[in-house]
Amino acid sequence: MAKARELKGRIRSVQNTRKITRTMEMVATSKLKRAQDRVAAARPYAERLGEVIGRLLTPELAARYPLLRQPAAVRRAAVLLLTSNRGLSGAFNANLIREGRNLLRDLRGRGVEVELHVSGKKGISFFRYQGETLGNAVSDIGDRPSAEDAERLVNSLMDGFVAGDFDAVYVVYAKFNSALSTPPTTLQLLPVQAPEDTGRGGEVDYVLEPGADEILGRILPLYVRNGVYRALVETTAGFYGAQRTAMKNATDNAGDMLNALTRTYNRVRQAAITQEIAEIVGGAAALE
Amino acid sequence: MAAPAAGAGAMRVSVLSPEQTVYEGDATSVVAPAWNGQLGILRGHAPLMALLGEGVLRIENGRETLRFQVSGGFLQVVDNVITVLSERATAA
Repeated sequence: MAKARELKGRIRSVQNTRKITRTMEMVATSKLKRAQDRVAAARPYAERLGEVIGRLLTPELAARYPLLRQPAAVRRAAVLLLTSNRGLSGAFNANLIREGRNLLRDLRGRGVEVELHVSGKKGISFFRYQGETLGNAVSDIGDRPSAEDAERLVNSLMDGFVAGDFDAVYVVYAKFNSALSTPPTTLQLLPVQAPEDTGRGGEVDYVLEPGADEILGRILPLYVRNGVYRALVETTAGFYGAQRTAMKNATDNAGDMLNALTRTYNRVRQAAITQEIAEIVGGAAALE
Repeated sequence: MAAPAAGAGAMRVSVLSPEQTVYEGDATSVVAPAWNGQLGILRGHAPLMALLGEGVLRIENGRETLRFQVSGGFLQVVDNVITVLSERATAA
């Protein structure tokens, strides 16, 4: 019966694992729901902001803003990579890190000096291990990133761009298409890619208080910060989506394993019983 | 922009922050802390885009007066639809 006892132990251990992964799946599902709501709640602000900038911005004005400065040659760039603080999410962080490394390799291949900023423990520990010097490493952004978190990440980059320390700033994040599709994405943050004039509302002759250039000067930084905020929120939602999928797979696998183990256990148990009966019958026959 | 779904004398107001829609509803008058002083808006105001300073945004909807603390951002008026965008907008 030694084998049967061993199997029993393994069955119990797999059962416990399944209990844990199933709980994590449910937790991730509820956090995903909340994170998704935050992605949706961020949309009206971003849309309006893009609309207004698209409407006010004219090519003549564009040349006057430091945030829109198109450098002749990119010599120094900054990359902001968003990852999660926790794992157990399948290839989520690995995909983001790969996208980030590809971008770094691409930029460095073109002779661009790159400063890397990372948010999230997973990215930080990877690049530390690689011996990369990190410009800014933030690991205290929780599962409800705020606009202040985004500000903290991007303000130094914006200042650096305005001061001419960087000629381009990129952010690598997980775009949240759906809970199942969160492809790693690279977004050029600076110089600002002016949103298209959507033409909604037609040609309205606005009274501008103060002038268009002052308004733009004040709201362009808002637009950049909002870009990072949305990247943060989408990455968080993507993380929980990936975690839910990973935990669901783990629960399913544990179930399969449990079935196989139970079957083996029953077979062993039955074999033992059969053998015992055979022995008894054999013993009785020997006595006659 | 959609035509205002509000009744006569009313305007449509939405107050948006990066994180959420802080307020969405009707208003009979709005007083906003513009960059250079208080700015009052009633129905029929000309299309306007104004920078906001820091202060209290008051929305009067006929039943009550709502107050929001805003800091920076801007306000847009078009066809009796007012949109307030501010990085920090909280009910006060």
